[in-house]
Amino acid sequence: MRTTQSIAIIGATGNMGSALSRSLAAGNYRLLLCTSNLDKATAMAEDIRKGNPAAMVEATDCTMEASWEADIIIVAVPYAAEKEVARRIREVANQKIVISIANPLNDTYDGLVTAPGTSAAEELQKLLPNSKVIKAFNTTFAADFATPLIDGRQVDAFIAGNDGEALQNVSELVSTVGFNPIVAGDLAASRTLEDMQLLLIRLNAKYDYNWRAGWKILHQ
Amino acid sequence: MHELYFQKFNEKVRLTETEQERIKTYLTYKKLRRKQYLLQEGDVCKFIAFVEKGALRAYSVDDSSAEHIIQFGLEGWTISDLYSFLTGEPATYNIDALEDSELVLISKSAHEELLLTMPKYETFTRLNITGAYLAMQRRLTSIIGSSVEERYQDFIALYPHIAQRVPQHMIASYMGLTPETLSRIRKRISTNK
Repeated sequence: MRTTQSIAIIGATGNMGSALSRSLAAGNYRLLLCTSNLDKATAMAEDIRKGNPAAMVEATDCTMEASWEADIIIVAVPYAAEKEVARRIREVANQKIVISIANPLNDTYDGLVTAPGTSAAEELQKLLPNSKVIKAFNTTFAADFATPLIDGRQVDAFIAGNDGEALQNVSELVSTVGFNPIVAGDLAASRTLEDMQLLLIRLNAKYDYNWRAGWKILHQ
Repeated sequence: MHELYFQKFNEKVRLTETEQERIKTYLTYKKLRRKQYLLQEGDVCKFIAFVEKGALRAYSVDDSSAEHIIQFGLEGWTISDLYSFLTGEPATYNIDALEDSELVLISKSAHEELLLTMPKYETFTRLNITGAYLAMQRRLTSIIGSSVEERYQDFIALYPHIAQRVPQHMIASYMGLTPETLSRIRKRISTNK
């Protein structure tokens, strides 16, 4: 696609938001870094431009305005904060791609807070019924973004959603960041994807991978 | 965000509150800043844009990099690369914002679903396309049969708002003239008054 797409990253200065923003700045995207702490977002935008003067990146503290400008919205906030974000962007996110990256982990990181038979992505879809919610970037650690190769292999990144065109669009975004996109299925496949990351987090703690771990499907 | 869109809709086809709420679920609200592209040549045009606020232009670029403005889009108008939208072929036009703008976009899938399921939307679309066809016919007749002076005067009479908001070199491009020729014509018209 030649036309520059605008992406609002809500929670841009967080761990995942910041890793995503830095990687996406290399693509043909205009980034709107949204966070309540404008100074922090401004400093991050300047830092991104220092490393890549051609990067189109701006800081803002208005989630609604940025989502209005955006073609794609990435909700990079903890699961517990998604309800409030959805309330703010509900109208302007109409028909737009909204990427859910959250894993609904409990406080002790040994289980999910969502009820069986649903997922963070499906809950977000209920809050934004007219948006195209896509699950992506939830099976990768923030540390993977800097080098999406682990042990010489490109990390897979799974995507789930109900809209074919939106899945295609997000696959391109995942490739831009450097991961290998794999469409896992419709939005209900997010349940498996969120469970997969719970497993990876627990394995990371148990075997001390130092957050440099990811998923790779081996196949012929 | 969508006030003007529904005002124009209701002027052509009266909607009930429920129908309006239903259409709203299909609309995409998009803000564009001055000089930003809505569409670049080569991409498939996936929407029709209704201008709530601001001004846009659609233009093609020839082999010598000269721009030819096909259409302006001001408040209450729609703008798109209709050929690309309807056929799925790559766009031959670029569309960018001349001022900070607020748009209501109707995607191809939303458009098709509304056409199939809501007769009032189909009527609204038919009236819009008929209006656009008549405007194009008028423009064609004027290009073929009128002097440049007449064409400029007709343009100013028909679209006084564009003349006030858009730089002269863009009006020249829209009329297929060089800025120098347009400037001479304007001078001639003002001395003849």
